[in-house]
Amino acid sequence: MQWTLGKRFVSEDEIIKEQGLFLDYDEIARKGAMTAEEKNISKWYGIYTSRQSGNHMARIVIPGGVLTSSQARRISKISEDYAQGKLAITTRQCIQLHWLKTPSLADMVRGLAEDSLSPFHGCGDVTRNVTGCPLAETCKFKRFNVLPYVKETARVLTESRDLDNLPRKFKITFSGCGAGCAQPYINCIGIVSVTRKGADGQEENGFKVVIGGGMGWAPFIGKDLFSFVPPEKIVKLNRAIALLFRDHGDRRDRTMARLKFIVFHKGIDECRRIVLENLKNEGVSTDDLETEDFEETGVDYPDRPLLEQNPVGTDGRTTVRAMVPKGELTHIKFKRMAELSEIYGNKRVYLTNRQNIEIHGVKPEKVEAITEEIQKIGFATDGFFGLKDIVPCVGTTYCPKAVTETRSLYDTLIPVVSQAKYSEIWDKAIINITGCPNSCSPYRIADIGFRGMRIREQVGSTEAYEMRIGGNHDRLARKFGEFKHDDCPRVLEKILDTFLAVRQGDETLADCIHRLGL
Amino acid sequence: MDEDKSLNEFLKAVEDLGISYDMAPNPQETSVFTGAASEPLDFKTYLKDVPCQDACPSKTNVPAYIEAIAKGDPDKAYLINQEDNVFAGVLGRVCSRPCEDACRHNWTGTSGPVHICHLKRSASDYKENAPKPLPGWFEDTGKKVAVIGGGPAGLTAARELKRYGHSVTIFERDSMLGGMMIQGIPVFRLPREAVEAEVNAIIESGIDVKYNTSVDATTMPQLIDEYDSVLVAVGTVHPSNLKLPGLPGDGHTIPGLKFMYDYNMGEIGDMQGQNVIIVGGGFTAVDCGRSCARAAKRLVGAEGTVTIMYRRTEAQMSADPDEINQMRLEEIVVETLMNPLSARTEDGKLVAVTFQRNALDDTQSDGGKPRIHAIEGTEEEYPCNLLIMAIGQTREVNILPEGVQQKEGHHTTLENVFVAGDFNYGSFDVITAVNDGKEVANKIDTLLMGEERRKTHIAITMTDTNGETGRVRDHDIQFPVQMPKLPLFERDGIAEVELGHTEDGTQIHATRCYFCNYKFEINQDACIHCDWCIAVAPRDCINRVSRLFHDEDGAVTSSLESNLVEETTYIWIDSNECIRCGKCLRICPTGAITMRKMEMCGCSTSELKEKQKANVPYGEVKYDKY
Repeated sequence: MQWTLGKRFVSEDEIIKEQGLFLDYDEIARKGAMTAEEKNISKWYGIYTSRQSGNHMARIVIPGGVLTSSQARRISKISEDYAQGKLAITTRQCIQLHWLKTPSLADMVRGLAEDSLSPFHGCGDVTRNVTGCPLAETCKFKRFNVLPYVKETARVLTESRDLDNLPRKFKITFSGCGAGCAQPYINCIGIVSVTRKGADGQEENGFKVVIGGGMGWAPFIGKDLFSFVPPEKIVKLNRAIALLFRDHGDRRDRTMARLKFIVFHKGIDECRRIVLENLKNEGVSTDDLETEDFEETGVDYPDRPLLEQNPVGTDGRTTVRAMVPKGELTHIKFKRMAELSEIYGNKRVYLTNRQNIEIHGVKPEKVEAITEEIQKIGFATDGFFGLKDIVPCVGTTYCPKAVTETRSLYDTLIPVVSQAKYSEIWDKAIINITGCPNSCSPYRIADIGFRGMRIREQVGSTEAYEMRIGGNHDRLARKFGEFKHDDCPRVLEKILDTFLAVRQGDETLADCIHRLGL
Repeated sequence: MDEDKSLNEFLKAVEDLGISYDMAPNPQETSVFTGAASEPLDFKTYLKDVPCQDACPSKTNVPAYIEAIAKGDPDKAYLINQEDNVFAGVLGRVCSRPCEDACRHNWTGTSGPVHICHLKRSASDYKENAPKPLPGWFEDTGKKVAVIGGGPAGLTAARELKRYGHSVTIFERDSMLGGMMIQGIPVFRLPREAVEAEVNAIIESGIDVKYNTSVDATTMPQLIDEYDSVLVAVGTVHPSNLKLPGLPGDGHTIPGLKFMYDYNMGEIGDMQGQNVIIVGGGFTAVDCGRSCARAAKRLVGAEGTVTIMYRRTEAQMSADPDEINQMRLEEIVVETLMNPLSARTEDGKLVAVTFQRNALDDTQSDGGKPRIHAIEGTEEEYPCNLLIMAIGQTREVNILPEGVQQKEGHHTTLENVFVAGDFNYGSFDVITAVNDGKEVANKIDTLLMGEERRKTHIAITMTDTNGETGRVRDHDIQFPVQMPKLPLFERDGIAEVELGHTEDGTQIHATRCYFCNYKFEINQDACIHCDWCIAVAPRDCINRVSRLFHDEDGAVTSSLESNLVEETTYIWIDSNECIRCGKCLRICPTGAITMRKMEMCGCSTSELKEKQKANVPYGEVKYDKY
């Protein structure tokens, strides 16, 4: 690119962003290729380059991971038409289409729009897909349904043109209770619904807000910004936090640009002061935003609610799940899941942050029938949030940033965790595998986490993994060692064997490590 | 592996598997991570990384003074120069600039090197404080040293010997100190005040000077008896001559140095309307030519002509291209491939000289210049009233007492008599003389005190600026401004022609410098081969390599690049290509890349030992970016 002699300390990306954030994919289709700058701006439209040159990946934004069956069919069709019939579910409840060719991007975007879908703001320095617990609407442990707040936050922040150029990506998640199924402590903003006894003795709903968490190369567990926020103010608060990020983020060094570094460097109190000021500037009263602790009065929830097989929700209906290996499936299978939701469920398809699919609203008497149908597709219907529910990122299969082929490790670990001796601890640990320090599969908050790397030999190098153990949704795992790919299965086996020997009661592997550390 | 007791049970179990990996060593480019490094490896790495300082005969700390200028501190920049090359204001004007040939900008760019030399002058121009004597290093030793000759080498040696704690007396033949700086270089190129200020800063440190005092072979023995050591630095004052048939020898031909001396002393007679020919192609020839024919034609008038006759081509002349351009502008004819054959006189006065053309051979002479041969039948006569022979000079060896011979490395057959400067190695430039003066002072001190009392080392410090050196990529692509010059028709042969860079121009040149003394290095034990640094690298500066080849000191001499990740043993920063942008450090997800600052320093041997106690070896520091 031609440099301007600004002599300013900003990253190259900032200079490209200042030229404008608009792209026309029809024009690109006629041209046949994208310039380096267009590829950069393309991220705002949810389109990334792929490891395979000439190919692109589109990330479809799905707030809360909820699709209508019609939308699911549309994605299936688009995948068939433009993406070699494959699609992948992400750990932030989106769907990624790989193998898109440059000239078909315009048609893909148009096709998605027919069912109110879009990859717009799937990537780029903007508010990314707003996530929530998959069971948000019907979970029996929920304080209240957070899905409307997910959708409204996504709408408002995506439509705010003054939030298009953030220093980097910005991630928000909503949880229905404190169990952390939606990983509130590792998002820029983690929002947890709470219930308490109000001044008038009536039950009062609100949100606890945590900011500054994140994975990536520098992990941070989020810090409490407010202990109680009235539900009607949460969208405005999210905007105020986005403004804090926009105005104070690092625009010199993209790797240091996330909100977590602002919180780390400024401290949570200074951040709170700026957020309150932002709210006041936008005419929002801040008297009812609290920081004091209080007694939470909602129903007790288990540590890992998602372990329950076919949970019955508050509406009396059952949820049935399909375990999608590696999160990748064909358009035919996805279309079949849409059909099953139309036949047995509430005509919605739910995507989870463990890369699986849920169908809600199944009448208890139909559970057996739909389970059989799902198994016919080839998906397991049990073992969720357990040992076999391994989450790998796409790794070097598609991702240009990845260091290792995570799916290969997945294939070698599945036989280890499937052994009969581990049936009594199937629900005591989860495993995440990520191909690089970006931690798309958050390996530091899993009981066992693998992160791709290479170990050098005398000449050359071999695929390997940094292994961490003892992570939980609100606690970082500890480094255990660095092992070559081929050694990982036997190391994993040793760890699980040791856990079998030293575990006490019902504790998870993370709790066990935590206990031993105390 | 982290020490973590809670994992003991698990670690023990995995230990039973007996997993261990045979890894290639972690190659390191310096002997310590931070501290005072003094192994041969450290000097090799440093001088490879900082080519300008390596090229400077006097090892001037170029990146440090340019960084001081870029940060707006010309006084600090001047002090760094004064320490390293003594005559910063002088060298900022007349240095032969080997550093600029070595500058990294010259390797791949087309905009030319950083104006390292002119920045020295900017430091001198914009400093607020006049040059002061530098503090001494050691207590008074009671030893006495005589320095014969007050030129650049003698003055430098005197200053350094004084700092070593010896009492120094300079014996100067002339009435002024400065040697060739005063006598040989024309004032419009080097104003006398610039020399005097810097000479005074040396003398004011307490050096005794005996002016108008010639020393020769007969008076030398007395000095040798009287002083603990004697340094001979009398330069080369014996002009080479060429005997032409037909020359009357009545003053129509004068040596170039004599002409320059007279010119600088204002003793040139009437030259109106004369045709002057200067034979030669060195600094003196050019200086003579430019002295005769300023645009104002003060000396030769409008009718007179000035011609330089050189036996090779312009490419072999000592003058830099900019000076050759200035000569053209000033209407000095440069005739190349010309060899004088004979002279013709009328009424006892020189009227013409006959030249013959030369042709370049494909072979080279010992000096590295192409051989020449005369072309028969190309003789041609050129009108000439004054012939200046500027074809070099040799030393007057008879200053040494009878029987005393010069030996290698500043020594003579007498233990306490040393030689330095042009007298040591033949006619050369100021910066080489300065370095020779520094070196000989060290040797004299070692002889007098029985041990080497000062040592150099590489000071390595960690930075915490997230890979930023104060520059952005924009700074690399600034158009370098030219040195502002006196308008052609105001050049009167006295006023300085090069006016010095403006403050803006100074900043442009200072910020172009890559600051090569910042060392980017990958800790291979922390590197995970994600290759993100390679993806953001602005040029081919980070490579995947399968093998590194080292010399006997452990310095990397070459590498074998690989295209396949499987064959990649190391991700390797090629510091020759590195432009110190810091992008790799910023993108590195594991903190494997660090930016350390290196600086070549001198200090006493005992101080160095003390400093080295605080050295931090590799691997002891865990580097976190945030």
